[in-house]
Amino acid sequence: MESLQGLLRETWHFYKKTLILVSRGSKIYYAWCFSLLAIIIAGFIFYWKQHEMGLLETNMTDQVSWGLYIANFTYLVGMAAAAVLLVIPAYIYQFKPIKEIVVLGELFAASCMVMAILFVMVDLGRLDRFWHMLPFIGSMNFPASLLAWDVLALNGYLFLNLLIPIYLLVKSYYGKKPNWKFILPFILLSIPWAVGIHTVTAFLYNGLAARPFWNASILAPRFLASAFCSGPAIIIIIFQIIRRVSAIKIEDSALFKVAELIAYSMFLNLFLLGAEIFKEYYSGTVHMASFKYLFEGLHHHNELVPWIWAAMAMNVTAFILFLIPSTRKRLSTLNLGCLLIIVGVWIEKGPGFVIPGFVPDPLGEIHEYVPNLVEFMVSFGIWALGLLIFTLLMKVAIPIETGEFSHTEYEKERPYLRPH
Amino acid sequence: MHKWGMVIDLDRCSGCQTCMAACHAENNIAIIGPEESAMGRTIHWIELLPYIEGEYPHIKARLLPRPCMHCEHPACIKVCPVGATYVNEEGLVGIVYSRCIGCRYCTTACPYTVRSFNWYEPRWPKEMKGSLNRDVSIRGKGVVEKCSFCHHRLLKARERAKAEKRELLSEDYIPACVQACPSNAMYFGDLNDPFSTVSILSRERRAFKLLEDLGTEPKVIYLSEGM
Repeated sequence: MESLQGLLRETWHFYKKTLILVSRGSKIYYAWCFSLLAIIIAGFIFYWKQHEMGLLETNMTDQVSWGLYIANFTYLVGMAAAAVLLVIPAYIYQFKPIKEIVVLGELFAASCMVMAILFVMVDLGRLDRFWHMLPFIGSMNFPASLLAWDVLALNGYLFLNLLIPIYLLVKSYYGKKPNWKFILPFILLSIPWAVGIHTVTAFLYNGLAARPFWNASILAPRFLASAFCSGPAIIIIIFQIIRRVSAIKIEDSALFKVAELIAYSMFLNLFLLGAEIFKEYYSGTVHMASFKYLFEGLHHHNELVPWIWAAMAMNVTAFILFLIPSTRKRLSTLNLGCLLIIVGVWIEKGPGFVIPGFVPDPLGEIHEYVPNLVEFMVSFGIWALGLLIFTLLMKVAIPIETGEFSHTEYEKERPYLRPH
Repeated sequence: MHKWGMVIDLDRCSGCQTCMAACHAENNIAIIGPEESAMGRTIHWIELLPYIEGEYPHIKARLLPRPCMHCEHPACIKVCPVGATYVNEEGLVGIVYSRCIGCRYCTTACPYTVRSFNWYEPRWPKEMKGSLNRDVSIRGKGVVEKCSFCHHRLLKARERAKAEKRELLSEDYIPACVQACPSNAMYFGDLNDPFSTVSILSRERRAFKLLEDLGTEPKVIYLSEGM
């Protein structure tokens, strides 16, 4: 009885301390959180308008029936999958500098997953019926529909990326060694699962015979390659911010290792894209129309052309920066490369991937699409929400990692609790 | 068992759009203004697609009526995450509107672009409210809809045949567009009956189907000398 009381008291203390941790911080922390909150509220107001009036409020049409939301969704699934590039060196190769920060990477993946799921939700015509997609309580069309697969894959990955870091952090809070026999299977499972979420997302587009732009078997490998560039790039930036604003030590060698992995992935990404462009242009069938629309413009419709060429330039520049060891190992050029990749890959596999699938439509009609204010504001809102979730998670996770927030500290505060 | 199919003779079609008008009236399709229409948010269960035949100067512009193809192997059904769309044993592809979550995956998968999304709450001028067809349910905003081959007419015909204590004949059931066509360019019937008009016409030299190479096996067959 007494031990139960003690446990409840400890748990209560843990939660109270967590709340105190996230509610106290520097002026910059407050400014950051409140500006995110403001963006979230603005996004929600715009979403509410869309919810009341229907998707009429967006710029999507019957010809281009998926737009900015699904583009962001695709990109974020890749971001989440990229956490595996920290998991593999940390747990399989026991690379120490990365092992110290892998938990942060997993929490990043969880935040990305939340954003990806939200982007699908805001795209639904009937949000009130989203539960139809859930297993057992809904009428999920599994295994026929790839979207049903995606629901399972994404939620499973979210679960893994919450379970693993929270388990490790709680153990660390109590100053105990984690039970590897329990958690290691989950960690190992998260590796193929990361590949799985992005493969399933690629197959979602891949299986449509009516859309030749997506109906290419190279799609899933391309998705993985580009994800393994953009995800780690944002992780490198985030880690530098974290080590500046918190007490955690993140070694440069960890960043450089991640950068090296980006260089390989970017090579693969450009190679696979090149292979696809060769096939399309050399064989020159009618299925090339979407490629033409993207890279050259089709019948004077060339909205995406400057964007895709900017993305290509960014990706190639970043590849060169990451390839040369001296620019890779200088923080200024490293960060420049990361920013180029984050934006370049977003254009390439976000709007540059989703929109040309619809233009021209299977019967040859051309309808162009540009997202409108509602779509932008809702998207910003979701991004801000993801960043806020990640920030708050970091606010608790980092003090645990550095040992500032631990059970022993709690015991020190209350000496009478110690066994005599 | 019947297998319902349609034949459209393009050589007879004058492009008058009567089929579209009949379909709109029959199936309670909402009316919208020119702005949204220009945005590509009009709903048509049957639409006349313009296409160009031949090379300049021997050029011919034509209109091709396009209902749902009611494919034997529909691309739209397997992609639906909630099983809101199905093909029944008579070959009709239908939608359960109350189950649809509006993800528009089927719209994306359909090679014939027959599926329309309800971007807005359907509206009719006050004067028209009384003329809505009570046999067809009204679709709310946020769900996908498409041509049903006037499935409600089949249900009615079947009830009538039952009341008259006889088998359903394929003549009992005819969709609104086929019934309305003034130039006799549209035929409807049972493709399983080798002697039905649609079966005989579908074996004609002029017969073809749209995007057949995708393996969808449409049950709408076109006839044209030119193609």
